[in-house]
Amino acid sequence: MSKPVTIIMIEDDEGHARLIERNIRRSGVNNEIKPFTNGTEAINYLFGSDGTGSAHKNEALLILLDLNLPDMSGIDILRRVKENRFLKYAPVVVLTTTDDEHEIKRCYELGCNVYITKPVNYESFANAIRQLGLFFSVIQVPQAPT
Amino acid sequence: MQILLLAAGLVVLVAISVASIMVVDRAREDSSLVVHTVEVENQLSTVLLEIRRAESAIRGYILISEPSLLTQHETAVIASRIAVNRLLALISDNPVQIANGNELKAAVDKRLGEFDGEIERLKRGDRQGSIDLLRAAGAAATTQRIADISTAMRREEDRLFAERTISADRSQSLASFITITGSGLVVALAGLSIFLVRRSTRARDEAEELLRDTNLNLEATVNERTADLREANEEIQRFAYIVSHDLRSPLVNIMGFTSELEELRGDIFRRISTLSRAALPDASLSENVTDSAEPILEGPDSKLSDEFNEALNFIKSSIAKMDRLISAILNLTREGRREFQPEKIDVRELIEGIASTVAHQAAEAEAQIRIQPLPDIVSDRLALEQIFSNLIDNALKYLKDGVPGDISITGRTKLGFAIYEIADNGRGIDPKDHQRIFDLFRRAGTQDRPGQGIGLAHVRALVRRLGGTMSVTSQLHVGSTFVITLPTNWNLSKQGKAA
Repeated sequence: MSKPVTIIMIEDDEGHARLIERNIRRSGVNNEIKPFTNGTEAINYLFGSDGTGSAHKNEALLILLDLNLPDMSGIDILRRVKENRFLKYAPVVVLTTTDDEHEIKRCYELGCNVYITKPVNYESFANAIRQLGLFFSVIQVPQAPT
Repeated sequence: MQILLLAAGLVVLVAISVASIMVVDRAREDSSLVVHTVEVENQLSTVLLEIRRAESAIRGYILISEPSLLTQHETAVIASRIAVNRLLALISDNPVQIANGNELKAAVDKRLGEFDGEIERLKRGDRQGSIDLLRAAGAAATTQRIADISTAMRREEDRLFAERTISADRSQSLASFITITGSGLVVALAGLSIFLVRRSTRARDEAEELLRDTNLNLEATVNERTADLREANEEIQRFAYIVSHDLRSPLVNIMGFTSELEELRGDIFRRISTLSRAALPDASLSENVTDSAEPILEGPDSKLSDEFNEALNFIKSSIAKMDRLISAILNLTREGRREFQPEKIDVRELIEGIASTVAHQAAEAEAQIRIQPLPDIVSDRLALEQIFSNLIDNALKYLKDGVPGDISITGRTKLGFAIYEIADNGRGIDPKDHQRIFDLFRRAGTQDRPGQGIGLAHVRALVRRLGGTMSVTSQLHVGSTFVITLPTNWNLSKQGKAA
C-alpha cells in the first residue's frame, strides 16, 4: 500500500503559506501539509539527521517551493533534492513571485516539474492555487525508493 | 618676450645703420677736408712756382733780351694771377687763411708790379737800372714777404692737415667701432633669440607631452567613470528589481487577506441578518433562505455593511494601483536588462506598421498621421517600436477636443545621427512640465485620460540606452513636438552591459 502523499510547503511568508494552504484545502485536497518558513528547517526535514534523505524512503512527497527564502535560495534546495537518490522522484512545484525567464529556465534545467508565478491579483492567485490543488488530487506521486 | 627681442634687434640694426651712415658721411667730409688742405698747399706751391717762373723768365730776358722769354714771363704772370685767385677761392672757408691769402695776393701783386717796373726800364733801355732793380728785388722785402706768408699759410694748412687727419682717423675708427659693436649686439641678440626659441620649443614639447598624458589620463578617467556609472546603473536596476519584487510578496498577502475578509464579511452579515431576524417576533422565514445571496439587512446593520464595503473597496483599489506601479517598475527594469539586437531598420515601414495598428483610434479621434520619408538606421527593432508607438499613442491620446488631429512624423540625418520629430496639434504641454513629463509616474495637464505616467519615462530610458537623446518643444493649446536623436549606426560595443 502506498502512503498518502505528504505536501512539503517551503514558503517563508506565513501569509502566503496560509493563503496557499486555505486554497488547496478549498479544492478538496486533504493531504497532510508540512509548512516550513525557512530553507534550513526544510533541508533538515527533507534530508534527515544523517543528511542522506533515507528517512523518507517509502514515502510519497510533493514539494511546494518558494525561491526567495531568507536563509538560502530555493534553487539550492531544488538542486539538492533533484540530486538525492531518495528525493529526486518527488515532484517539485516552484511557486514564487519571480517571473524572470532566466530563473524559470534554470529551474526546469535543474529538474523542477512545475513552475508557477504567484499572481498578485488575489482572484488569479486563489484560482491558480485551487487548480494546483485539483492537479494534486489527480497527480500520481511515486514513492521514494527503499 | 620674443616680439620684444625682435623689436630690440630691429632697433639696434636701425641704430647701427644710421650711425654708420652718419659716421661714414663724417669720414668722407673729413677726407675731403684733408684733400682740400692738400689742394691748398698744391695751389700755394703753384703760385710760388709761377712767380719764380716769371722771375726767372724776366731775369733771362734782362740778360739776353730774348723776346720769347718776355712772352714766357707774361704767361707766368697771368698764370700766377690765376693761381692766386684759385688759391683765394680754395681758402675762402678759413678766415685765418683768407687774411693770409689777401696779404699774399697783395704781396704777389706788388711783386708783379715790380716786374712791370723792370720791364719798363728795360724797354727804355736802362738795362743796368733793371738789373739793379732785379737784384734789389731779389733781396727785397716783397720776395721775403711772399715767402713768409706762404710759409705761414703752409704751416696753417699743415696744422689743419694734421688736425683733419686725426679727425678722419677718429671718424674711421668710430665707424669700425660702431660696426663691430653693432654686429656684436646683433649676434648677441640672435644668440639670445635662438636660446629663447629653443627654450620655448622645449616648453612647447613638454606641454604637448603633458597634454598627451592628460588626454590619456582623461580617457582612462572617463572610462573609469563610465564603468562606475554603468555599475551604479546596474545597481539601481537590481535594486529596483529586488524592491519591486519584494514589495509584491506583502501585497499578495494584503490582497489575499482582504479577499478573505470580504468573504468573512459575507459570513458575518449573513449571521447578523439571521440573528436579527430570529430576534423578531414573527420569524416566519426559514433560516435556509439567508444562506444564499446577500443577506437582507435593515437600519444600522445595513449602514455598517456599507461602511465595511467602502473600506474594503478603498483597500482593494489601492492595492490594484500599487500592483500596477510595481508591475511598471518591474517592466522598466526588465527592459533595462534586455540585450539589444542591432539590425538595419526601415524606420518609415516600422512607423507605418505602428500607424496601422492605431488606425482605429486615429479614425475615432478624426486624426490623420502623416509619415514623411525617414532615414533608416541600425538599431534595436523592439526598442524603436516601443519608442515610436508610445509617442504616437500619446499624440493620439492628448489631442484637443473638437479639433481634427494632425500628427506628422519627419526625419533627417545629421553628423551620424538620425533625428526624428513627432509633431501634433494637440493640447500641448505647459513649459513648466517639460521636464516633469519624463519622470516616472508623473503626468501633466488635465488628468482625463487613463495612464500611469510611465510611457515617456520608458521612452527616454530606451532612447538613452540606444545612445540617443530626446527633447520636447511644446506650447500649451498649440501642440507638441518630440524630437528623438539616435545614432544611425548603433552597435553592441556601445551598449551599457547589463550584468
